[in-house]
Amino acid sequence: MSPALLEVDGVTKRFGGLSALNDLSFEVGEGEIVSVIGPNGAGKSTVFNVITGLYPPDEGDVRLRGQSIVGLSPNRITRAGIARTFQTVHLFPNMTVLENAMVGQHSRSKAGVFGAILRTPAVRREEEAIRERARECLDFFGSRLAGYRQDQPAFALSYANRRRLEMARALATDPTMMLLDEPTAGMNPSETLELRDHIVRMRDELGLTVLVIEHDMRVVKGVSDRVVACDYGRKLAEGTYDHVANDEQVIEAYLGRRHEELG
Amino acid sequence: MQPGVRVGVIAGVVTIFLAAVGLIGNFTELNIIGEEVTFAQLMLVMIPLVAGFVATAPKVEAGELVTFTPQRAAMVGAVSGAVAGAVFGAFVVFVDAFGVERVRSVFLNVSPVLMDYLTSGRPALTAAAILTVISAIAGAAGATYRALPDAVRRPLGSAIWVTLLFGFLQRIVPIALDQLEVERDWLYSKITGGLTWVGAIVIALVAAGISVLKQQKGGAIRGAIVARRDRGAEGPRITPLSIVLMLVGLALVLIAPQVLGSVISDVLGTVMVFALLGLGLNIVVGYAGLLDLGYVFFFTLGAYSLALLTGATLNTFIGSSEPVISLNLNFYVAVPIVVVIAAVAGVLIGAPVLRLRGDYLALVTLGLGEMIVVLVTSPWLVPLVGGPQGMRDITSAAIGDFGFRDPRHFYYLALAFVALALFVSSRLASSRVGRAWTALREDEQVADAMGVSTTSYKLLAFAIGGAIGSVGGALFAVKIGSLTPASFQVLVSIQVLGIVILGGIGSLPGVITGSLVLVGLPGLLREFEEYRLLAYGAAVVAVMLLRPEGLVPNVRRSRELHEDELDQDRWVRDVVLDEGVAPTASPQGEGTG
Repeated sequence: MSPALLEVDGVTKRFGGLSALNDLSFEVGEGEIVSVIGPNGAGKSTVFNVITGLYPPDEGDVRLRGQSIVGLSPNRITRAGIARTFQTVHLFPNMTVLENAMVGQHSRSKAGVFGAILRTPAVRREEEAIRERARECLDFFGSRLAGYRQDQPAFALSYANRRRLEMARALATDPTMMLLDEPTAGMNPSETLELRDHIVRMRDELGLTVLVIEHDMRVVKGVSDRVVACDYGRKLAEGTYDHVANDEQVIEAYLGRRHEELG
Repeated sequence: MQPGVRVGVIAGVVTIFLAAVGLIGNFTELNIIGEEVTFAQLMLVMIPLVAGFVATAPKVEAGELVTFTPQRAAMVGAVSGAVAGAVFGAFVVFVDAFGVERVRSVFLNVSPVLMDYLTSGRPALTAAAILTVISAIAGAAGATYRALPDAVRRPLGSAIWVTLLFGFLQRIVPIALDQLEVERDWLYSKITGGLTWVGAIVIALVAAGISVLKQQKGGAIRGAIVARRDRGAEGPRITPLSIVLMLVGLALVLIAPQVLGSVISDVLGTVMVFALLGLGLNIVVGYAGLLDLGYVFFFTLGAYSLALLTGATLNTFIGSSEPVISLNLNFYVAVPIVVVIAAVAGVLIGAPVLRLRGDYLALVTLGLGEMIVVLVTSPWLVPLVGGPQGMRDITSAAIGDFGFRDPRHFYYLALAFVALALFVSSRLASSRVGRAWTALREDEQVADAMGVSTTSYKLLAFAIGGAIGSVGGALFAVKIGSLTPASFQVLVSIQVLGIVILGGIGSLPGVITGSLVLVGLPGLLREFEEYRLLAYGAAVVAVMLLRPEGLVPNVRRSRELHEDELDQDRWVRDVVLDEGVAPTASPQGEGTG
């Protein structure tokens, strides 16, 4: 059997005395949409940061197509095909919307200093291709990021559009796998619904594998092939939404019955 | 009344400060216009005048803009002027009572001559009263100036500042006029050194006239630009007019040294050396956002490596000697090698400090910059770079018999390199590389996560920035023909950073403007040489407070802001049109497109 696209294998990450991740393992298969759920502080974002190379794990391994990506710098991991968004939106606020998306194409293009200075036909073609690809990625969100908005600085966007732009920028890195960190945080119900469709379309139309951290259970239910629930850096349960949602431990973690028992 | 008092106190303290550092006492003989208006007098009058102007600035109170009535403005202005005069008068009385010599033992410039000048031989109290009255009048004048209608105020303002500017440029403009063989005795007096009254009046009238014309035409031109943008023109249009203007500008730049003579050409040469340094540092600080306080490193490296590559000799007590390493290359062969050396050095310097950010990076680079100064001075490297004695016989970069040591020739050499650096910088800014730098500057971690190799791009910025700076150093060596460590101090780093900040971080026209203002002006106003650093500091502080984006901000950002305004205009017009109160959409400028 060929290995899953992404394997998180026994990862432990400590910050001082606190274990943010504790022997956490799960897999994401090609073309799957997997949700990671858990209460605040469960270590969800830490998993993302370990996968994308922001933090090195203390123990364990992360493999992409069977190859370990531990120890690679974030930009190498992006090049390898993992794109991400951030829990709090991180755009390049003073660059235009289009430029933000064009940055995403960085690792898929190669014009260097001399090319930039001489501006050879090849470099110009590449620049045009970068722009074209960036536009395509912005167009994924329909009219939301189209037209005059593309030439506005990113800071001028509404909150929901900033989130969309962050996703478009991640799409522009031409990933095989997309990591979305609470994509619907701060969005209103209709925007949330729209975004749910976008996540499904990322898989169905763009052929991406998606790993998503999400709090909104309607979204989790609507998009997930599988759900991984964690708390205190450990995996509590894994499986279909219905399976996980009815799991005793998961309910405890969310409703806090543990406290009662201890008391 | 309170704002008047506060501003007045500040103005009074400023005057005391200027007197204490000698700016008043040393310039009682510097005639600006005729024999009547000297620089010292100007300061004594202009400071309360500006105070009156500032004190009556309209302010926002409870969400509403409050402006003064003319009468009240004059009152507030007079009060602030009077307070300024009184504070300064109190200083005069104090010095007189305490004893000039005792004060002088601390403040060297508070001399009997200064006191004589301020009191004109009268008792100190009387003098203070006179100063107060004069200042009150000046303050009222400043406040009244603000209250004038635009149509009067603008011409009057430009008449005043243009005339004063010409008065200050009294060492330079006459030389230029002589060079052009223009009769100039009617304009600048040979006896007083400053402007003649006739000359001052002519200049004032011309300046006022130009201002009036600008006011009448300015609106039309702005309307034309808006109209053209509205028609969906993307980017700057090339019109016949803009081509003519560009050609005229180019021609002026090219003939400048012939017209302006060697003194001004010399200053312009220095300006361009610093512009090159500024352009290099702009890549590191402006594009990649890495604060480098040790930029003198590359300046020094460029100057000394050029000297060694082109066969300069060491200064010794008995004459000159060969350095231990000496090649005898042509300047134009040596420069590319210098560039490569500097780029490699940039990577070497960059590598250990890559992990540092912001303040830490600044401190480490400051130390690295200081190291090279110590190195070129050290006895250890005397056989190589001559130590404190330095080097001489540096190539004049001659092409055939045409050497570039003469300031009027050097100008062209420097111009060529500045043009090249501008070209390289602008091409880089609008490329994949420039985009990666911008991303790095805005958010390093996210840039990394988006696939930008932060390590490579930081090193690249250090390498390219260093390379451009080293060319500045190489040109500097050619310009002065000899090198001593005295020219390579930490101050250079600060000056170049000042240029970049003053002009507008990340802006190419800003770097040029910054060098003209911070290197050119002090070079032209030789009288103020001692006060250059004071002015430097004041200028940078003022820019940071009043215009943090710099004098000529980054074009991309200002364009974006401008387009927002145009979008708003369009929106407002559409709404107005919808509601049927249609103003005729102005088709101005249709013919220029």
